[in-house]
Amino acid sequence: MKYEHLFVFFEHDDGNPANVSFEMLGEARRLMDEFNRKYSRNEKVIAIILGHNIKSLCERAIHAGADAVIYADHPELRYPRIMVDTKIICSLVRDRQTVAKVVETSEDYVKPRYMFFGADAIGRHLSATVLAELESGLASDVNKLLVDDVTITHEHKTKGKQEKYEKILFMYRPDFSGFLWTQILCLDNKNPEIAREYSPQACSIIPGVFQPIIDSSRKGKIVEYEPTFSGKDLKIRIVKREIIKSEVPLEDSRIVVAFGRGIKDSPESNIKLIEQFANTLDAEIAISLPLSKQPYSISQSLKSTYFIPARVVGTSGKKIKPKVYVAIGISGATQHIVGMKDSEFVVSINPDPDAPIKDESDIYIQGRMEDVLPLLLDSIKKIKEGGN
Amino acid sequence: MQSTINVAVMVKLEPDLSEGNVSYNPDGTLNRSQTRSILGPHSAIATRASFYSKVLYDANIKVCTMGPPMADIALRQALEICNADELHLYSDRAFAGADTLATAETIKAGIRKMGSIDLVIGGHRAVDGETGQTGPQVAWKLGFNFLGNVIDYSIDSANRIIHAERLIEIQGLYNILEEVECPLPALITIDPSYRERYNTVSQRLKYIKLQKEAMKKAENYKQYLKVWSAKELGVDTRSVGLPGSPTIVYKVEKVPRAKASRQTRIIDVSKDSELKELGMRLLEILNSK
Repeated sequence: MKYEHLFVFFEHDDGNPANVSFEMLGEARRLMDEFNRKYSRNEKVIAIILGHNIKSLCERAIHAGADAVIYADHPELRYPRIMVDTKIICSLVRDRQTVAKVVETSEDYVKPRYMFFGADAIGRHLSATVLAELESGLASDVNKLLVDDVTITHEHKTKGKQEKYEKILFMYRPDFSGFLWTQILCLDNKNPEIAREYSPQACSIIPGVFQPIIDSSRKGKIVEYEPTFSGKDLKIRIVKREIIKSEVPLEDSRIVVAFGRGIKDSPESNIKLIEQFANTLDAEIAISLPLSKQPYSISQSLKSTYFIPARVVGTSGKKIKPKVYVAIGISGATQHIVGMKDSEFVVSINPDPDAPIKDESDIYIQGRMEDVLPLLLDSIKKIKEGGN
Repeated sequence: MQSTINVAVMVKLEPDLSEGNVSYNPDGTLNRSQTRSILGPHSAIATRASFYSKVLYDANIKVCTMGPPMADIALRQALEICNADELHLYSDRAFAGADTLATAETIKAGIRKMGSIDLVIGGHRAVDGETGQTGPQVAWKLGFNFLGNVIDYSIDSANRIIHAERLIEIQGLYNILEEVECPLPALITIDPSYRERYNTVSQRLKYIKLQKEAMKKAENYKQYLKVWSAKELGVDTRSVGLPGSPTIVYKVEKVPRAKASRQTRIIDVSKDSELKELGMRLLEILNSK
């Protein structure tokens, strides 16, 4: 087989693993177990780890679902750096000898079958450069995966003829509204005029979506890869690095008040109302993803305070679990639910009783925020004044 | 001697989501004819970032986009922001239906045609595609150093070095502010939290002067516009557009609704007692450990 195995790029920062690394490995394990059963194959999950003094991560990757780990340890690799990392990853996955050291691999092996990266500030760009180098397809922000065969007729891919494709990775990504799911497939060109094989089939995976596995009894081979790179690959110099607090501490807040498109009838005054409500309860303010795209005309100061990515709750933003989460005018796309479903107590206010957010709420109030919030605000103020 | 800094900006015409009426074709692709299109918000930020180079370093700016003929609106809007010297539109049926890899191939060819380019600036991501992949893929194809999530940058034009600050957010871990530098040519993509700073009076005066000039230029933007076909760019039509795309959109479906995860109690706020009960409950939970 020219294309074999699933490679997972294990993300960490100076030895601190990102959660998405374990989540990707968990999903990779489930997917390849199913794949091997379905196709009677014996292909493996291989984690790639680049860094310095990262030996302990290798074992953790095995416990999290990898069959094997190939790592490169070098002081120059201590922090993620896209150009040199891309070069090493690409030469590593194309090196049959190295791959064959850790798992049984065909003689004619050329490249991975599948590849996973995290859809975050490390993996998003790295997946793009790696796949540009490997000249294959990449889907971003995936939250569901399965492998199946597919028969299609396509103007370009098959020149209008019906063709069967085997072992195709179905990569599901939610669109910007969160209500539509797009299935992305990476397919060879079987059209003789543009015939080409595209492998690996790769994607970046949304953090917080898949379940990690932790099984410390798991065993696997760990092999060091000696990377070759030159000064040319190290042109990006890190001058300074500093760990900083998030500009909006949503994760640390006991209560989060979030609003969505329901502010639409009078955005400016509704935000002011939400501000008052949040202040009364000492809450941090969050938004749903569509609002980070600044869809309303409101004052610049409100825009730059609230309509910013740092306030987004959901798969494209933060995953939080406050004591109280109040969802105001948020319909509850799956994207959003992922970010707030672990909250202890959820209150939602929405005029539409069919809005999915209702099912995720302990308390649901049917109504427009313009009508409900002043009443609720008033009631809380009275209770507070009453000394309760 | 200081030579001019040549900057290319890659922008995208995107649906104006503020209209709130994005519509789709039966095959699941965006119905662009039903949705007004504008210069995408992240493209606008990238363009603003290029204007910084114009004000501070007298950069020569070329803005480019791939799209249908109407995508020249995005170029015009970009010109208004950055006082561009040239506008390049890559427009050909051969480019249509491209995924990120095939798009990057076209844009790479376009930027090569611009001659000597020191810095390419792109947006964080598009609001419709949302992949954030095109920028780094263009960089890799051009062989330029790539810096993503840039929130601030400056150029040492004598030594031809770019210095940048990057914001790296790692979910569930922490955020990192990283200062990096690398030799030009480089391609940077701009983080939404980018804020340019014009510190001196002369910078601010120049900013105003160049902005006025930009508005005037925009009235006759076509005089700065060049439209390129696939042939003129010299691209292999098998490596761009649909034929050059490894990925396809196979299906678009509604995300199925998850099962209810909580026992939901419905509260009627017109009843004082229910309202009060909810208020008490909220405060009680918040005051608990």
